[in-house]
Amino acid sequence: MSGAAATRRLSPTLLVGLGILGLFALAALAAPVIAPYDPIYQEATARLQPPSFAHPFGTDNFGRDILSRIIFGARVDLQMAAIGVFFPFVIGTFIGALAGFFGGLVDAVLMRLIDIILAFPFLVLMLSIIAILGPGLSSFYIAMALVGWVSYARLIRAQILVLKTADYAVAAVSLGFSKPRVLFRHLLPNAVAGSVVFCMSDAVLVLLSGAAISYLGLGVQPPTAEWGIMVAEGQAFLSQAWWITLFPGLSIVVLAFGFSLIGDALGEMMGVHE
Amino acid sequence: MSATPAPDPLLSVRDLTVTVRGEAGERTLIDGVSLDLAKGEILGLVGESGSGKSLLCRALVRLLPSRALAIAGGSVRLAGRELTTASTAEMEAVRGGAIGMIFQNPSSHLDPVMRVGDQISEGVIFHRKLDRVAARAEAVAIMEQVGFTDPARQYSNYPHEFSGGMRQRAMIAVALACDPDILIADEPTTALDVTIQAQILRLLMELRERRGLSIILITHDLGVVAQTCDRIAVMRQGGVVETGAKRQILTSPQHPYTRALIASHPSMPVDYEASEVDDQASQADQAQPFAPAPTPPLAPRPLVEIDDLQVRYPVGGGVFTRRRFFSALAGVSLQIMPGETVGIVGESGSGKSTLARAMLGLSPISDGHVTFDGDSLRLTPAATLARMRREAAMVFQDPFNSLNPRFTIGETLAEVLRVHGKVAPSAIPARVEELLRLVELDPALAVRRPRQLSGGQCQRAGIARALAVDPRLIVADECVAALDVTIQAQIVDLFRRLVATMDLTLVFIAHDLAIVRHLCQRVVVMHHGRIVEEGPCAEVFARPREAYTAALIAAIPDIDPDRRLLMPPASVLSS
Amino acid sequence: MHRYSFILTRPLQFLPVVFGVSLITFILVRLIPGDPARVLLGARATPTAIANIRAQYGLDEPLWLQYFYFLRNLLHGEMGTSIVYKIDVLRLIATRIEPTLALVVASVVLSILIAVPLAALAARHQGRPIDHVIRIVSTFGIGFPPFWLGLMLIILLAVTVPIFPVSGYGDTLFQKLAHLFLPALTIALSLSTVLLRSLRAAMVDWLKSDVATAARARGVPESVVFWRHVLPNSIAPSINLLAVNIGWLIGGTVVIESIFALPGMGQLLVRAIFSRDYMVVQGVAMVFACATVMVNFLADIATVAADPRVKL
Repeated sequence: MSGAAATRRLSPTLLVGLGILGLFALAALAAPVIAPYDPIYQEATARLQPPSFAHPFGTDNFGRDILSRIIFGARVDLQMAAIGVFFPFVIGTFIGALAGFFGGLVDAVLMRLIDIILAFPFLVLMLSIIAILGPGLSSFYIAMALVGWVSYARLIRAQILVLKTADYAVAAVSLGFSKPRVLFRHLLPNAVAGSVVFCMSDAVLVLLSGAAISYLGLGVQPPTAEWGIMVAEGQAFLSQAWWITLFPGLSIVVLAFGFSLIGDALGEMMGVHE
Repeated sequence: MSATPAPDPLLSVRDLTVTVRGEAGERTLIDGVSLDLAKGEILGLVGESGSGKSLLCRALVRLLPSRALAIAGGSVRLAGRELTTASTAEMEAVRGGAIGMIFQNPSSHLDPVMRVGDQISEGVIFHRKLDRVAARAEAVAIMEQVGFTDPARQYSNYPHEFSGGMRQRAMIAVALACDPDILIADEPTTALDVTIQAQILRLLMELRERRGLSIILITHDLGVVAQTCDRIAVMRQGGVVETGAKRQILTSPQHPYTRALIASHPSMPVDYEASEVDDQASQADQAQPFAPAPTPPLAPRPLVEIDDLQVRYPVGGGVFTRRRFFSALAGVSLQIMPGETVGIVGESGSGKSTLARAMLGLSPISDGHVTFDGDSLRLTPAATLARMRREAAMVFQDPFNSLNPRFTIGETLAEVLRVHGKVAPSAIPARVEELLRLVELDPALAVRRPRQLSGGQCQRAGIARALAVDPRLIVADECVAALDVTIQAQIVDLFRRLVATMDLTLVFIAHDLAIVRHLCQRVVVMHHGRIVEEGPCAEVFARPREAYTAALIAAIPDIDPDRRLLMPPASVLSS
Repeated sequence: MHRYSFILTRPLQFLPVVFGVSLITFILVRLIPGDPARVLLGARATPTAIANIRAQYGLDEPLWLQYFYFLRNLLHGEMGTSIVYKIDVLRLIATRIEPTLALVVASVVLSILIAVPLAALAARHQGRPIDHVIRIVSTFGIGFPPFWLGLMLIILLAVTVPIFPVSGYGDTLFQKLAHLFLPALTIALSLSTVLLRSLRAAMVDWLKSDVATAARARGVPESVVFWRHVLPNSIAPSINLLAVNIGWLIGGTVVIESIFALPGMGQLLVRAIFSRDYMVVQGVAMVFACATVMVNFLADIATVAADPRVKL
């Protein structure tokens, strides 16, 4: 029953989602200003302190303020999500569009390659590539670009295959439009809607993978503040100081929630189901 | 049946009002409708899309499509019992048990993952409290009644294993299984070919005779109404504008909208064998004033020449099985002269759309030749395609899907002009406006996107896009099939004017023979990928040589109730 | 052709995939920097000792020849010998396969048990408070990092309220189930959210569908409409989703097994990567990949069974 007027109006889902994302973005940008402490300063007298007025989220075993580390961690984690989605999106969209539009041998080879990559458990492939490149954020981005494009390529290819038979595509061909024009001006803009929605759930995936990789010690290296590492660092003190582990994890959950809400709202606006 | 409503109607609707709660407050969708349905009567509910005829019928059994809709007033009385205030349990007994429904699209209304027979016996179990075995026997019996040839075996088949016509029979069986007094048939034949439509309508009328069933037949086709109904109610914008006995409405319509509907109906001209004098006297026939000019006497060479054209698609086949092919076109030969208007007719699957696309080099040719103004698509593909793209254009069936949803109408037209370069860039806006005027669209609509236009407006924009090429040939593929009759008539008129005023060759593909009869000089009848008959329109329609053509013509429901719908010879329809 | 005849022909299509998987695994493993012989013998090893080890494991051969041996041995069911554990890789994997398999199966069963009833509840009360609550909770659930969720469950159900064991696997069936519960729940909580959302969306669509309307129009009660028409139609798309996510899940076991110290293949893989145990990394990746292919194959069979229209 959603008419044109209903889709114009911003849904509360979208507003909440954007609000959460905006809050984290603001925290990341203004981290040095709003963080109460230096994220890597070790205060020997304040080790393993539970949440208090001075340290709302407590301190870790080095006496570092958890809240400040979370605020600075937002910089790394948001960057991870953004870059980790951007390259796979661009690469996958391009490859998927070409495969779907031209078909034939190119399509057959690409689809087999995608089958092979999908046959690997995602994290296993990521771990192997990062093991080759050495731990660090840039390794993570490269691994993500090498593996993540697959989902986008499949999505776009499927869309292009459907749209190729749409009357307006046939019309464009019958009017003598060049192949690049038909593909990039007529088909692709109509095909990306699903991928843009998927971007948001992919951002959640990337965020979780990035944090998991860092948790395993293969991503961002200490003492940089990053939520996945913070969880790992707290693990040893789980029974004494639960707050070291709880709050960084919660940050991931809330940010991911924001991404999911935006994805849901976009999907509803564009009439796309995942 | 008498013209006045029966004294004690089976179903009586009074001032029924349905409203929708929206952001801008309440809106009335069904506006105080009153109707009566007598026992054994067939009531035709006629109207165009958006008139509220389907919603009205859903409201009768309180199956409104959304929670935002509500019955705001009025009454529905079934044999004296009020339905608008009945409890849920009572309504469940009424639905199916007293009032059965069948729908336009049996493919989407039958459960795809449940066996057809189980869907039929489901209602039997709920309404007649039979056990599974007895219900199954009952279902098989009903399947036989509605025309299944091997019901015991077909009971276990899934809906997708049947043809469209058989699915509609299954839908009817589902409704009849609960033994209702009233059947509501919502556009039951719209998705079907004419010959199948004739069979289904015949079946409904038989059922009325045999079971004393009362039927509400919702349709947009006045021909169907004329052939089947006793009384007619004409709906528009949620209200009934006129109601009365069939003959009274068809011969002396009171409301201007009813008159417009009747005038728009594409009917076959009366009795060709009789003299032309008869033709002119007929009020229903509007074709004569616009009768197309005779073929130009001297036509040097055909614009399009198709020689033994074959198009095959691979179907199935895997690693171990031999590849099998489906022949969409099995050797078609055809010549189209410059300036000619040719209609290609046939039922679904006859290959007419494939022919249209192959003619323009849009689908791969398996064998044979297509020649465009002397250039062979086989011998010089690149050059021929380049010429086709500049000199031929296509108009499509679905008016919304044929325009890029992200472009405004102006952008769509301007892009064509820019790519073809026949108009100087500075002159493009003026040409866009000119094109819109040519198809009788307000140039102010150029800034709208397809979604912001009506179906008819979109189709005009689609025609404007074809004209933007400045083509010698236009191929129109079922381009009025998705439109309401009044809009249909307007678009056909538009084509007629364009052909008369411009130097255009038109290939008009349609399943509706009456429209082709009105518009075209020559007609080509297709069946199973072959041309079964071709010739001048008047000739073919008056004296069809082939049994299939005759069957096709006979199956068209005429708006004149006295010209009975004939059952075509069974042998031709065994397909 | 019979609808199920693809069960015989489909495995042929796996061959190129498995071949590609073996090639990529092989290349990836060789690209990992560091000399396994040196890792094995330590920093003070003599060049002769290193050369011996290299010869023993065929590491001094050219790469293409190593791959050829790898493939040949693979066809004989041999995956070489672990450099660290000094035993046959296949036998090593065999000792580790049970906990991983049990974990995956338990997680899937648990997530179906969570997702289906909640999806049904939400869809049947679409737009009502209960639906909103389920939707919001499941949307939150998608963002739970499994490694963190695992730790939180440990705090809650093993440390604060000591109901379940924290780590290890155990010997008896009961012990094993007890040890599996927390890791399986961790995975199931993540997996079920995805499943739940897809199921709910499908159910909502089918509740509004023509099929449901037609069933109501013949007087079928609402609950029967749901269980006999809506549910069966909603399942097919979720099967595929579940299959895709099981591929994901198999990878996820890598992290979960580390947290709960489950002696499975994931844990084996992480250690092998860190210790440059080529043969084990190769072997485990191959087994994981074949398992993923197998799961997708099973999903295809299930889809064909769930939807009579599907032909493969």
